[in-house]
Amino acid sequence: MTNSSFTWQRGLIYTILLAFAALYLVPLYVMLTTSLKDIEEIRQGNLLALPDNPTLYAWTKAWSSACTGSECEGLAPFFWNSVRIVVPAVVISTIVGALNGYALAKWRFRGSEMLFGALLFGCFIPFQVILLPMARLLATLGLANTVTGLVLVHVIYGVAFTTLFFRNFYVSVPTELVKAAQLDGAGFFAIFRHIFLPISLPIFTVTLIWQFTQIWNDFLFGVVYSGPGTQPITVALNNLVNTSMGGKEYNVDMAAAIIAALPTLVIYVLAGKYFVRGLTAGAVKG
Amino acid sequence: MSSQRRPSGSLERLLPKIVLAPTTLAMVVCMYGFIVWTGALSFTKSRMLPQWDFTGFDQYERLFNNPRWDVALSNLAIFGVLFIAISLVLGLALAIFLDQKIRGEGAIRTIYLYPMAVSFVVTGTAWKWILNPGLGLEKLVRDMGFTDFEFRWLVEQDMAIYTIVIAAVWQSSGFVMAMFLAGLRGIDDSLIKAAQIDGASPTQAYWHVILPILRPAFFSAIVILSHIAIKSFDLVQALTGGGPGYSSDLPANFMYTFAFNRAQMGVGAASAMIMLFGVLAILVPYLYSELRGSNRD
Amino acid sequence: MGSLSINQVTKSFGDTEVLKGINIDVQNGEFIILVGPSGCGKSTLMNMIAGLESVTSGTLEMDGRDVTHVSPKDRDIAMVFQSYALYPTMNVARNISFGLEMRGVDKAERERVVADVAALLQIDHLLDRKPSQLSGGQRQRVAMGRALARSPEVFLFDEPLSNLDAKLRVEMRTEIKKLHKRLGTTIVYVTHDQIEAMTLADRIAVMKDGILQQLGTPAEIYDDPANQFVAGFMGSPPMNFIRVDTCDGGDIEVEIGGQTHRLTLPCSPGIAASNQREVILGIRPEMITQPKPENTQGIAASMDFDVIEPMGADTMAIGEWNGQTLMARLSPEAGQCAGANTAIQLDISKCVAFDTANGDRIR
Repeated sequence: MTNSSFTWQRGLIYTILLAFAALYLVPLYVMLTTSLKDIEEIRQGNLLALPDNPTLYAWTKAWSSACTGSECEGLAPFFWNSVRIVVPAVVISTIVGALNGYALAKWRFRGSEMLFGALLFGCFIPFQVILLPMARLLATLGLANTVTGLVLVHVIYGVAFTTLFFRNFYVSVPTELVKAAQLDGAGFFAIFRHIFLPISLPIFTVTLIWQFTQIWNDFLFGVVYSGPGTQPITVALNNLVNTSMGGKEYNVDMAAAIIAALPTLVIYVLAGKYFVRGLTAGAVKG
Repeated sequence: MSSQRRPSGSLERLLPKIVLAPTTLAMVVCMYGFIVWTGALSFTKSRMLPQWDFTGFDQYERLFNNPRWDVALSNLAIFGVLFIAISLVLGLALAIFLDQKIRGEGAIRTIYLYPMAVSFVVTGTAWKWILNPGLGLEKLVRDMGFTDFEFRWLVEQDMAIYTIVIAAVWQSSGFVMAMFLAGLRGIDDSLIKAAQIDGASPTQAYWHVILPILRPAFFSAIVILSHIAIKSFDLVQALTGGGPGYSSDLPANFMYTFAFNRAQMGVGAASAMIMLFGVLAILVPYLYSELRGSNRD
Repeated sequence: MGSLSINQVTKSFGDTEVLKGINIDVQNGEFIILVGPSGCGKSTLMNMIAGLESVTSGTLEMDGRDVTHVSPKDRDIAMVFQSYALYPTMNVARNISFGLEMRGVDKAERERVVADVAALLQIDHLLDRKPSQLSGGQRQRVAMGRALARSPEVFLFDEPLSNLDAKLRVEMRTEIKKLHKRLGTTIVYVTHDQIEAMTLADRIAVMKDGILQQLGTPAEIYDDPANQFVAGFMGSPPMNFIRVDTCDGGDIEVEIGGQTHRLTLPCSPGIAASNQREVILGIRPEMITQPKPENTQGIAASMDFDVIEPMGADTMAIGEWNGQTLMARLSPEAGQCAGANTAIQLDISKCVAFDTANGDRIR
């Protein structure tokens, strides 16, 4: 390899990498610029042009007055619906997953590995196969179309993942620590609190981010199990885009899409490292 | 375990099981129980409400005689093959390029991966605008002087499914890149050097030495991507709404439509079972090999 | 009081029996060492004494109290682990006092104990550090400190020195011995290192395949092994085993340096009684030396040495008896000129013989 071909090749690699980076960024760029244009400029100008007169009209409308089906109150109420669903679902599924993972990793008993295998399998089933009976169960419990019902569904099907995360993390903690703590007189919960909890910050971060992204971005459970007043933001966004009152307002659609994506994007930018770790942990390891 | 008498600590011994009990119950009922329930339902005449007159394979017959299901299945085949193949090739190429001690690697990686943080509904909404025939990509190219340019895939029956491939690749290829990159990072640098000393060009070194080592990452990526493909629902719903007509339906959309909008529970249940078997066909061999490999820890 | 009695204890995992009826009585204040190759069941036995593993059958008693099914925290036992198992997020002081904290000891008392233990082990200056900031030897001390803090009736040590480098290991070994002298607490100590066993133990329990092979003082184990396994396991370099023919009256015949020697062993009556045509002669390297005029009992012979391995204090020389390799222990001076046809002297007063079929000792 001569020095000149070396730099020539590296130049090509950089070009390709940057070109793809641009390609991945284009949709975000288009969403952002479109959301700042008025509808006239959208009709006249082209997709990639910067807005001439940036306006927040589309953003205000998307947030507070766009129509999502029959009501026209913007995305705001649904944004808060999502918050009300996501926060308890994430917190509960993470705590349950931490305890489950701890028990499965360090307190094995006959059948515990089988239980883990069965749970792991649950991470992969297509949810279509449980949609119908779950709807019946929620109706029976009086939770159909309620925020509580959605929280319950997200917890039940999220726990498989959170358990997997914590179990795989705790498996690598030396079992001798548990033995030492047992001899020191600590029991199941004391060992969890004093030994395991203090070292769990990374895995809690990974799990919280993973669960937050999953549940915030969920559409399937939202569309099936929510009612008019309890729809999460993904469902409302879809309704907003597909509700055509008069002319199509692409700028409002784009502003709404960004609003719906913003929480997860912010988390990704702030804690991308943990996000990627969650993706690969959730995906690769068994 | 011999249990004669455990004066102290017997509650303590039970605690792990007590902690796991609610999850176990939820799992048995809400996963496996519900699968059985759906399976049973698919053998009944249920329409609006579940009813338990068993009719054998009637619903499956009806399902496979339904042209819409045919479309959904062939769409899944097209979508699955293209989505997986393009994501793999793109993800692998980007990972290999990024693994060349690139300046600003962190920033570039962040850009490749951010679509994964966004929901499919948002992705669908964005691409719906970009690909729309009137004002989107078509107009952009025409404005550049190519006045005859046509790009109307979104509203063409034969082509709508390909727009879904585009949006899905945009969203997921960065993730595949991350998986391959993690795999590449685990490979000893000196292997490439050794191959080059043996006279291999960089391309040959990657092809003969590195790719075979990445085989497990390929398996994982294929399993995950096919899993995403089979479950794909929101993207179609947001980007094409399954249209034009039902030309871009996937099985998940079919199931949703029949079970919840068309009051054909039996058919919906049957289609859900077929989806489950599809996932099982991919998953069981994979999990089997994974668990067998990792049982030794 | 810290006596411990292990009665007919067995352990099975499924169909595999890893402990096959172990009986050991440990006196109060005794330092007892469980030694054996890996997989012999010594660690399992230790975990059972600690209560970390259930007992399949048999009983465990401490001071006459049946503790077979008592949970670990109620056994008044402390343990030092091979990996030390220091709590990574707690500083040294809290690591040491955690056991007291869990037992509800008040803060002032805990601080007093930590100070005492730290002074005893000379780790006062480390109390605020996290385990990750300590060297291997310091971690070892902290692990011992944690065990000491509760002043238990019985200490368990699970291969505590195996993660240390050779020099530190010798140092800590001495320290543990001093500690035992000072505290007088019962210690059960697991190791696979026979030198540790010899140097530390009051009594050694040699285990193999889940069976207790021999229980005795280091001298008994060394000089009077129960079988060929024990004889071969204890001692470094190990005892030489040579297959030899027997003659009438239980004497043995062995060819050394081209000459056949007929030897009468202390156990010759036993060999005669056993009616074996062949036995395995066990002779330690230090019984084969350069001629020592002061030893009038010695038997003179000459041997060809192929390989000479100076070790400083001694020189090991390798040659053959009956065509079988064996090792002699010479003085450095004698070692220098050892080679073909070297004069040696045998001390057969401690020679032992084993059954060729099952390795049992013939007495």
